[in-house]
Amino acid sequence: MAYSDKVLDHYNHPRNVGSLDKSSPNVGTGMVGAPECGDVMKLQVKVNPDTGVIEDAKFKTFGCGSAIASSSLATEWLKGKTVDQALEIKNTDIVNELSLPPVKIHCSVLAEDAIKAAIGDYKRKQPAPEREAFSVS
Amino acid sequence: MSSTLPRNYYDFFGIERKLTVDTDVLQRRFYELNRHWHPDRFTRKSPDEQAQALEATAILNDGYRTLRDPVKRAEYLLTEEGFPIGEQRSKDVPPELLEEVFELNMMLEELKAGDESTCSQLEGARQNFLDMRASIERELEVLFAKYDAAEAHSKAAKQALQEIRGVLNRRRYIENLVRDVDGALDPSIAVAETAEDRL
Repeated sequence: MAYSDKVLDHYNHPRNVGSLDKSSPNVGTGMVGAPECGDVMKLQVKVNPDTGVIEDAKFKTFGCGSAIASSSLATEWLKGKTVDQALEIKNTDIVNELSLPPVKIHCSVLAEDAIKAAIGDYKRKQPAPEREAFSVS
Repeated sequence: MSSTLPRNYYDFFGIERKLTVDTDVLQRRFYELNRHWHPDRFTRKSPDEQAQALEATAILNDGYRTLRDPVKRAEYLLTEEGFPIGEQRSKDVPPELLEEVFELNMMLEELKAGDESTCSQLEGARQNFLDMRASIERELEVLFAKYDAAEAHSKAAKQALQEIRGVLNRRRYIENLVRDVDGALDPSIAVAETAEDRL
């Protein structure tokens, strides 16, 4: 089976590997896994609470090259997006960008799940939006 | 026209749909059925019957491979009962398990990056994983008995199957760690696994 140059590039030079302070209120952490292939993926976002823009994103994935490439690409895409824009990233976007073969589509699903989990975690850490509405800038 | 063959492995072997299987009985049934369906006995029969014998032999071999192995047997029954192992989303996996597997992988990665001196620690990690796997096998045996004791399709049976799926998930992760640490200890294993396999 042939793999796209983009998968190989992300696999050999993964972007944004590392971790952010999990306890920070501005950091959202998503930990997801696919037991059938033994993959586990951690993806974190650091959000500017005033603008809602993702300033930094890190990941660490134990799994196949496609899972690593999918999460690496996801962190690249996340930076500079707002949390709401981030939620619009679909696994199919990752499949298209990396030209993933059908048997590796679940890797992109995992990356999408990781984004959603990280953003969800960040949102849970924020004060209720009703209260924020009263604050005057 | 010949009658249709049972598709379900348990039915094909004529044994109860239980998770605990007497492998001696299974093996006896395998030999019996193997003799019965052997294609050599069908050379003078109609093409339909020959085709059926061939089909039966295929089911027999797949079924035997599946049922004699406790893990494959459990995965098969889970799928049959509507708990397929391969179609789970991350939300089905408890976060504690992912945290645990992540930490174990981190530790293993650090050890692998180390020099020769970490070799004994790697051996220790390997033993730890093997112990974990052994305790998982014992856990499975207990859960198998729990499922077998419950009435088929009852709430208790479903509950047991769900627990079994959880334990099999954990087993899969531990199995990967064992393979990983084996590769680190003996690079020739890692070389055998080509770059393509990892992608």
